[in-house]
Amino acid sequence: MKRLSCILAAFAVLCMAAGAQAKSYVNGIDANYPPFAYVGEDGKPAGFDVDSMDWIAKHMGFEITHQPMDWDGIIPALMNKKIDMVCSGMSISPERAAVVAFSEPYYTIQKVILVPADSTLTAEQAIKGKTKLGVQRGTNEHELLETRKVEEKLQYELRFYDSAPLAVEDLLNGRIEAIAMDSAPANDAINKGKAVKIVGTFADDDLFGVAIRKDDKELLNLVNEGYRKLKADPYWKELQAKYLTK
Amino acid sequence: MHILSTIIEALPYILEGTLVTIVLVAGALSLGFCLGVPMAVAQVYAPRPAAMLVGFYVWFFRGVPVLLLLFLFYYGLFGLIGLDVGTIGASCIVLGMTSAAYQSQIFRGSILSLSAGQLKAGKALGMTNGQTIIHVILPQALRLSIPGWSNEYSILLKDSAMCFALGTPEIMARTHFVASRTYEHLPLYITAGLIYFAITMAGVTMLRRLEQKARIPGYNSAGM
Repeated sequence: MKRLSCILAAFAVLCMAAGAQAKSYVNGIDANYPPFAYVGEDGKPAGFDVDSMDWIAKHMGFEITHQPMDWDGIIPALMNKKIDMVCSGMSISPERAAVVAFSEPYYTIQKVILVPADSTLTAEQAIKGKTKLGVQRGTNEHELLETRKVEEKLQYELRFYDSAPLAVEDLLNGRIEAIAMDSAPANDAINKGKAVKIVGTFADDDLFGVAIRKDDKELLNLVNEGYRKLKADPYWKELQAKYLTK
Repeated sequence: MHILSTIIEALPYILEGTLVTIVLVAGALSLGFCLGVPMAVAQVYAPRPAAMLVGFYVWFFRGVPVLLLLFLFYYGLFGLIGLDVGTIGASCIVLGMTSAAYQSQIFRGSILSLSAGQLKAGKALGMTNGQTIIHVILPQALRLSIPGWSNEYSILLKDSAMCFALGTPEIMARTHFVASRTYEHLPLYITAGLIYFAITMAGVTMLRRLEQKARIPGYNSAGM
């Protein structure tokens, strides 16, 4: 292991020496998605995905900046080369894969139902009943719930939010009865002392991948190779412990 | 007390966004002014085709939401012509072009409120129409426009909050980010509101001062 890191370090130094103009890329993030991507207390982008990509950039010899963006416009921004990748808790979905390329999945996330701590609602009731169900606009969950509502003739009424934290806020306001969301931000809300609880899942797990333009094979290889290295490094466990415990 | 410390901690970050907002508004107002004045003059005095062109521009920019214009220009037009001025630059241009439509109507109103005889009077004195417009009409019209213009300032300031759609890191975007991390939505939104309020007050007060300073004693809009 030590030897490997020596080689890696040497490689990194070589890369820096070789390319004073190391390639620089921009990663578009949804900074309203803790703990994967958010803006830290110092005003700089932070989170699991941000730290992961920083590590990969360092070890693969490219420069990375993280650009907070509106989630709704993030794919158009990628297609228009305003940004080069989206590493920000993006679920791999067939709709998205039709327009962009995805890296190999780097994380598996559960899709959970979040309810107020004093609620007696179950995940099953939340989906099958006449519930007011909150969901973040433009997400995989949004897509999924719209489709299922029609296909399975479900009774829930969807309410859309700009971000998961805003949905949690409205859940506590009592305007919705449950939220369908990813487990990580749900746990984040619980860890930050919000009176909410997870009562179960409502769909199969999702896989997170890094979205990259289809013609940008070079970056796709860099990112895939980078994740392979990162996952073999103890830092991967450290990152999970730091951001995703519980 | 926890809420207070969250706000204090977030304040430098949000205030940095205030700077971005001020740059957006100042840039957009200037661009709007530079385009708006000639547009107003053209609509009142220019031959019909030019006046109609301005009319079309105004109709388009007043008829479409700013948010949609931001998307349309940033992802569409600017990409097509290869213009890369960053998110702040692009936001400035779109807000400025929208503001030009509104500002041109403020100036047009002021010009129309002046007595139509002034142009003839200028001619009688041997001035060309252009000279009369620049030296006689506009100095009066711009003075009369200041109250309407201060309205445009405060509207533009609030429209600037929409520029986050492009990833422009202004007040609202930053407030949203901090709220997502800390889950203190309400106190942070109130803080942002107070900042907007302060900028509005400061700008409107300054324009009011300008209006008083620019006033000509004993003058009224009939020009008599």
